[in-house]
Amino acid sequence: MGNNPFLSVKDLRVEYTSDKKAIYAVNGVSFELEKGKSLGLVGETGAGKTTIAKSIMRILQCPPACIKSGEIYLDGEDLLQKSEKDMLEIRGKEIAMIFQDPMSALNPLMTVGEQIAEVVATHDKSLSKHEAEQKAIEMMEMVGIVGSRAVEFPFQFSGGMKQRIVIAIALACNPQLLLADEPTTALDVTIQAQVLRMIKDLQDKIETSMILITHDLGVVAETCDTVNIVYAGKILEKGTVEEVFDAPTHPYTRGLFDSLPKLNEKTDRLTPIPGMPLDPSIKFEGCPFAPRCERATDRCRQGEIHETHLGGTHYCSCVLCDQRGEA
Amino acid sequence: MAPVIEIRNLKKYFGVAAGTNHAVDDITMTIEKGTTMGVVGESGCGKSTLGRTIIRLLEPTAGNILLNGEDITHAKGHQLTKVREKMQIIFQDPYSSLNPRMSVEDTVSEPLVISKKYKSKAEINDAITEIFSLVGIDQRFRNAYPHEMDGGRRQRVGIARAIALNPEFVMCDEPVSALDVSVQAAVLNLLMDLQEQRKLTYMFVTHDLSVVKHISTNISVMYLGQLVETSPSDELFDMPLHPYTKALLSAIPSTDIHHKKEQILMKGEITSAINPKPGCRFAPRCPHATEACSQPQALQEVGKNHFVSCCRVKELG
Repeated sequence: MGNNPFLSVKDLRVEYTSDKKAIYAVNGVSFELEKGKSLGLVGETGAGKTTIAKSIMRILQCPPACIKSGEIYLDGEDLLQKSEKDMLEIRGKEIAMIFQDPMSALNPLMTVGEQIAEVVATHDKSLSKHEAEQKAIEMMEMVGIVGSRAVEFPFQFSGGMKQRIVIAIALACNPQLLLADEPTTALDVTIQAQVLRMIKDLQDKIETSMILITHDLGVVAETCDTVNIVYAGKILEKGTVEEVFDAPTHPYTRGLFDSLPKLNEKTDRLTPIPGMPLDPSIKFEGCPFAPRCERATDRCRQGEIHETHLGGTHYCSCVLCDQRGEA
Repeated sequence: MAPVIEIRNLKKYFGVAAGTNHAVDDITMTIEKGTTMGVVGESGCGKSTLGRTIIRLLEPTAGNILLNGEDITHAKGHQLTKVREKMQIIFQDPYSSLNPRMSVEDTVSEPLVISKKYKSKAEINDAITEIFSLVGIDQRFRNAYPHEMDGGRRQRVGIARAIALNPEFVMCDEPVSALDVSVQAAVLNLLMDLQEQRKLTYMFVTHDLSVVKHISTNISVMYLGQLVETSPSDELFDMPLHPYTKALLSAIPSTDIHHKKEQILMKGEITSAINPKPGCRFAPRCPHATEACSQPQALQEVGKNHFVSCCRVKELG
């Protein structure tokens, strides 16, 4: 087991059923994450990023969602084989999740102190009520909110502070894996910078591994070690942030970079990606990006597209790299 | 070039339980024909309120609004209808700003019918065909309903409705922030093309600084209802002067992994504009604040079209 990565997801497939139609949300996703490192999952709306995180946390509602196949190993143990009772132990303690919207992630009828203490008490039964409350106050101070505000309710806090409380709840039990689902999308840039810096500092302190879900490539560049580009429930390109940002190879990754307005260079026109994302209720063959790709050929529309190793830890699932080593 | 929009000491206050919210406080600006004024700031700083007050969707508390030199601050009835033809708005959320029970064609034709400029159904029909091809909506979507379209197409419908009567001034209220980046680029290109073809004047409200840099001629930075800095777009990014502008620009996450910039992390959170104290509202978070910052601040000219509202701007450089 010694060389095994800390988290490893193998060929994960998730489907939703709605109106008797299947929605293919995650279509064979595999990736790994080392201890103490951060992985960015980047993709557009509906790419399946949140579904991947919820599968790891095992909080997908079933039905409508169904994990069709795959293995998720955390520290050598397959989470998908665990009973719900085991998962109750693992959730919050080993794996914690930060949700996108801090406004709806907190219980409006409980004080924030109670909400942090609840997690602590659930996972450490030996603690007295008072000790759990003390720990809650400690956590609040760690995320930069004065402990005396533990008796206040969520509505008394600003958006940025609520998100910090959500983070305090997530980190209260020193989880080994943190799933952060667009943790700063609802926040302003200056507050976003504060929150990202804080997550990073705390992560260094307790050696947590993190999966950061976002659609913002800038946030990935500032926070992550490795990055996976997700499209239509598939990973099209992955590697370290340096590998992918220095040499984006998949036409979709390149399209994403090209469509961003740049701060440090003058462009007269942006280059949008033509077309629209796939209808997820249609099972595709070949590359999911082929209908929008200018360089697509017949080969792209049939059979399985294999991952090509571009060097280092850089992989790209594109026929063009398969043929020439580089697209 | 003549200014299309001029506002002088514009104020918009809202009465709230805790007192008075100074959402827009004493703002003066000029927008020249064919240019884009970007307005940036964090949520709650009053940027949307400013835009909506200018196009008279909200009643101003004090100050003046001039459209092509004509004072429209108190325009009513028929005059206001005429003013509205010249000033339009594109909303942030293409999902909630379209009537789900109206077909796309009905939505876009409504302003044409209200204007009474078209004599027959056939004329309206022709006008819609033209508008659709201008904004890039396929004619087969004429009878479609909003729920049948994706976000990018819906936003095109919102744009079609706004430009249907050939306005001079369009207030764009975060028009791309609900869209994915690949679609966002296409909508930004469309807005810039329309501006060129029709000599449109825009006010572009957004919190996305790379978008605002791309589209704007001039940029105004707001903080809690006040204008803290206004400058030509490139100059603002090359030489930000107000401490808030500097902090804001340094906080943008950059995709450039080899040139890490030093982030200026601000202390604390945005306070509120309810019953504010006199003086600079950024002072409680500002690393350079002194006694003098509690006095009311005036905009100082520091370059051509570049104004800053900070009493320490000269010494800080």
